[in-house]
Amino acid sequence: MDPLSWTGQIAFLNPVLALGLGLLGLSVLAWIGLSSLLPENRAITPSGAGLSLPTGPRELSGLVVRLAFLLTAAVIAAYLVLGLALGTGAGIIGAIAQRLLPVWIALVLLFALSIRFKQRLGLYGKLFDSPIGMIGFGLVMFWVFTGIFGAFDLIITHDPLAQLSGLKNKVPGTPLPRPEDGDFQWYLLGGDNLARDVFSRMVKGAWEVVKIAPLATLFAFMAGITLGLPAGYFGGRIDTILSFLANLILAFPVILLFYLLVTPEIVQTGLPQYMAAVLFAFPLIFFTVLINARFRTQPQQNRLWLSVVLIPLVWGYFSLINQTGSKINFLPQSLDLFNIPGGILVVFVSVVFVNSPTVFRIVRGLTMDIKTRDYVAAAQTRGERPWYIMLWEVLPNARGPLIVDFCLRIGYTTILLGTLGFFGLGLPPESPDWGSTINEGRKLLAIYLHPALPPAFALLSLVLGLNLLADGLREESMKD
Amino acid sequence: MSKMAEYDGPILEIDKLSISFFTRRHEIPAVMDFSVSVQPGEAVGLVGESGCGKSTVALGVMQDLGKNGRIVGGNIRFKGRDLAEMSADELRDIRGNEIAMIYQEPMASLNPAMKIGRQLMEVPMIHEGLGEKEAYDRALEVVTDVRLPDPERMLQAYPHQLSGGQQQRIVIAMALMSKPALLILDEPTTALDVTVEAAVVELVRDLGKKYGTSMLFISHNLGLILETCDRLCVMYSGEAVERGSISEVFDDMQHPYTQALFRSIPLPGADKNAHPLVAIPGNFPLPHERPQGCNFGPRCDYFEPGRCDQGEIEMSPVAGNDRHATRCLKHLEIDWAAPITLAEQKEKTQPGKVVLQVDNLKKYYEVAANALFGGGAKRVVKANETLSFAARESETLAIVGESGCGKSTFAKVLMGLETATEGEILLDGNNIEQTAIEDRDTRTISDVQMVFQNPFDTLNPSMTVGRQIIRALEVFDFGSSDQDRKQRMLELLDLVKLPRAFANRMPRQLSGGQKQRVGIARAFSGGARIVVADEPVSALDVSVQAAVTDLLMEIQRKEKTTLLFISHDLSIVRYLSDRVMVMYLGHVVELGDTDQVFSPPYHPYTEALLSAVPIADTSVEKQHIVLEGDIPSAMDPPSGCPFQTRCRWKSEVPGGLCETTVPPTREMQAGHQIKCHLSDEMLARMSPVITVAAE
Repeated sequence: MDPLSWTGQIAFLNPVLALGLGLLGLSVLAWIGLSSLLPENRAITPSGAGLSLPTGPRELSGLVVRLAFLLTAAVIAAYLVLGLALGTGAGIIGAIAQRLLPVWIALVLLFALSIRFKQRLGLYGKLFDSPIGMIGFGLVMFWVFTGIFGAFDLIITHDPLAQLSGLKNKVPGTPLPRPEDGDFQWYLLGGDNLARDVFSRMVKGAWEVVKIAPLATLFAFMAGITLGLPAGYFGGRIDTILSFLANLILAFPVILLFYLLVTPEIVQTGLPQYMAAVLFAFPLIFFTVLINARFRTQPQQNRLWLSVVLIPLVWGYFSLINQTGSKINFLPQSLDLFNIPGGILVVFVSVVFVNSPTVFRIVRGLTMDIKTRDYVAAAQTRGERPWYIMLWEVLPNARGPLIVDFCLRIGYTTILLGTLGFFGLGLPPESPDWGSTINEGRKLLAIYLHPALPPAFALLSLVLGLNLLADGLREESMKD
Repeated sequence: MSKMAEYDGPILEIDKLSISFFTRRHEIPAVMDFSVSVQPGEAVGLVGESGCGKSTVALGVMQDLGKNGRIVGGNIRFKGRDLAEMSADELRDIRGNEIAMIYQEPMASLNPAMKIGRQLMEVPMIHEGLGEKEAYDRALEVVTDVRLPDPERMLQAYPHQLSGGQQQRIVIAMALMSKPALLILDEPTTALDVTVEAAVVELVRDLGKKYGTSMLFISHNLGLILETCDRLCVMYSGEAVERGSISEVFDDMQHPYTQALFRSIPLPGADKNAHPLVAIPGNFPLPHERPQGCNFGPRCDYFEPGRCDQGEIEMSPVAGNDRHATRCLKHLEIDWAAPITLAEQKEKTQPGKVVLQVDNLKKYYEVAANALFGGGAKRVVKANETLSFAARESETLAIVGESGCGKSTFAKVLMGLETATEGEILLDGNNIEQTAIEDRDTRTISDVQMVFQNPFDTLNPSMTVGRQIIRALEVFDFGSSDQDRKQRMLELLDLVKLPRAFANRMPRQLSGGQKQRVGIARAFSGGARIVVADEPVSALDVSVQAAVTDLLMEIQRKEKTTLLFISHDLSIVRYLSDRVMVMYLGHVVELGDTDQVFSPPYHPYTEALLSAVPIADTSVEKQHIVLEGDIPSAMDPPSGCPFQTRCRWKSEVPGGLCETTVPPTREMQAGHQIKCHLSDEMLARMSPVITVAAE
């Protein structure tokens, strides 16, 4: 087999792309220059003059920027479409595009359905009115689908842990020296210094992130909300104490904390597990109070709802913190539903521990604002208990900023996971997560560039996507 | 940069102006075919309800419509020049220099990080290139003109050091710094208290005369327009519906909307039987739901199908009057003098036994000087001082006073959100003043309920209307099943005259008046016997106010509720209350039957309040009493009589008694008490503030 080039038969698109990018760069420069030099025009648009060609140099440069952008976007789309059709015939790009086929199908379906029904979908639907939000959502969902399908082994070309001799540090597109039947013929993005497939490891690494980041962020939010609401609502001494604790945690050096948590001596004392026991209890408290406040006057329904929600939650909680052969080990083996590897637990604990004080401060601020509203006073004057007011009157109306922050925070968590992986904390050493792969690639960066770059770009585009998504949500939630 | 050349046509000429806002989906016409002209030295009022486009007109004149707004037709000429054809630089010269604008919220117009003097001096320094010295002199002169005490110290102050009324005076001063030809005032007094408002309005009127400035005065308050303007233009749903001089429009109205508007506001000169409120049926149309033909058609009593709902209706001049025009096809046919057809007279239920008895109630707050460590000297805010009154079943007791008078604190103590410092509140003979709301039993809580002021805040935005009412029922232990409560919720919606389908709506889908109705339904859900209504209609549009007021009174008649009606609007108080309690700085200064309070002898503060209320009736004559200064802070109340700093009768009391002793409560007639040092002869000499001229 021949080695694959980057573009193969669609190499003819390369000059067009170069042209498009060059034009875009030049026109943006010209546009900025003209806008700052020429005086601003007042928009005097008499009715009926909607679609005429712009006349001034300012408007003209704006038009060129737009055209250049469209050209570039069209060329990139052409790469993907032709790549899908030609597969390995279109080089590495084509092969990757074809491997990602399930992701493309899922993305197209998701966008088509969402745009079709966007009127009925509330804030999520409004996201599709904002180009920024759509781009961000597209990027995020690309990695989510890649992670999910990757977990089903649909996308990867090789076992991410398998080492094939002769492929150590080979460049992208290197063919397998001795392919067996059914094997994919190339290492698409090359091999790393242990001769593993970089492409497959990147795809598998997406699953590590998709699996941990949102869940850890969710736990951080539960803790932050459960503590932030009373601090903001009652104020006074509770607020002072909780805010001081939050400041204390925020002031603690994060990396040092992580190192401490994975130190064997500290693990021996069971400290991470005790922390997990505390931090993971917050969802339990949250839901108990939520239901209890709502059905306070109807004991019958209260018991029903509490048992329906709490029994699975409590069981899950105990399974989560219970670990055979550790300090917390009280559940019989038969009742322990699942076991979290110690390393992952530490990752979870540290991420939740570090993120929740920031969430706490946001919730506290929002609560202090919302508690002055008349509907809160109305609830007070009809004798509602404080927790009902906090959870049912205040929290739902704080959801806008919280959703936006949730998106941003998943991004921070992703970076944090990368950092943890980079320092080799928590996750097993052969784990394909992006942080570890970047760290490994870093060691030979001066000689072999290719193993470190794909996971780095993946991390960048996912976090960028999350930030754009948050921006889009913020923009749209402020309208109407 | 000098002023534009002298020009002796109209200062501002708006001709067939149409303004639209463009959203991603569609075009929303905000103003259509609007014409008005302002002559030199003339004050023109622009009246209409919220959403009628009056502020958009002002922004159009300033050419400041934002990204989405665009003038789609007509033109605006300022001193004969079309504003749309001016370049950005030319406009910059005009704004703030030739045309100045005063907004509703004074604090939002002032830069909080800059001293007042600097901000004022900036205006002539930028526009006329004046030197620092001249600019300072000009600033001093203008600040003296707006009658602020101690002008030199004012110039050295930061905006937050001034009170709301003083801030608005500074904003007015800033607008006058460049001696503009046109002054646009967009609801300049809405954020101020009544007595402060009266002073600001008088100031604006006098300054307009002194400087010869033309004014465009935007307001929803017809009474204010009457007091300030020469001509007015009534707007409805983006169109001017009637235009003319004050006397023509007030006394010889030629448009059904103008007529309906006047009929829906209570006039304190007349009682409710001779002058019943007539609410305008229906709702204000949304911009994209405007009907064919006449916009007011669906709500109009004189509507004629086939004629009023066809094509565009033009402004047509009214014969015999000067520059008086109306947008009504039938204005010649309607008998404008016809008396209001009286709705069925409702029998007033007699007040029953005493339900609520308040005795010597005091509420003090302690404010620590240092919040963090609790150290330092503690200061005491006396929010309520010896409050005593009784309220009977199915009686309406109005509590009147300006901000800071302690009426909201009293409501809090009554509701149990705060506990009293001293004194008693007896509900059916049981003390509740020390029982916080958590310790009250369900019966007590559901007996005393509250209707809130701000309709946009009174409902939880993320819960359906039905769910919110059901929640109240759940808390009040009503019924035994969800079915019972749902049924009761639907009945409550019927009670407040809302369609049952509203149960599944979210609050944002409701108009302000509808939200307020839901708030009322929620308050009455537990069969409340005492309802505290905290300015329930002051945030609503005039045409909706009447309907909501009537609803409240109707439910009160049906349920025999005791209504504690907190308000600063004496017109509405006169209209619906049986007894009135006037409060000032935590003290009850006057208490009595409505007729007793509204006729002499008055407490000097009541007298001033009455005089401050703008009345939209040309036949009413008012005594002119303007209070000096602002309401003192409750942190630092004056010694002796709380009102002595602003009282105009103070000199009539011998021996400086007012400054040393709090006056005793004196019984004037049966049930009429006044807290004042004035002698009986002096009180007897007072003349009525409001007199209706014989027609």
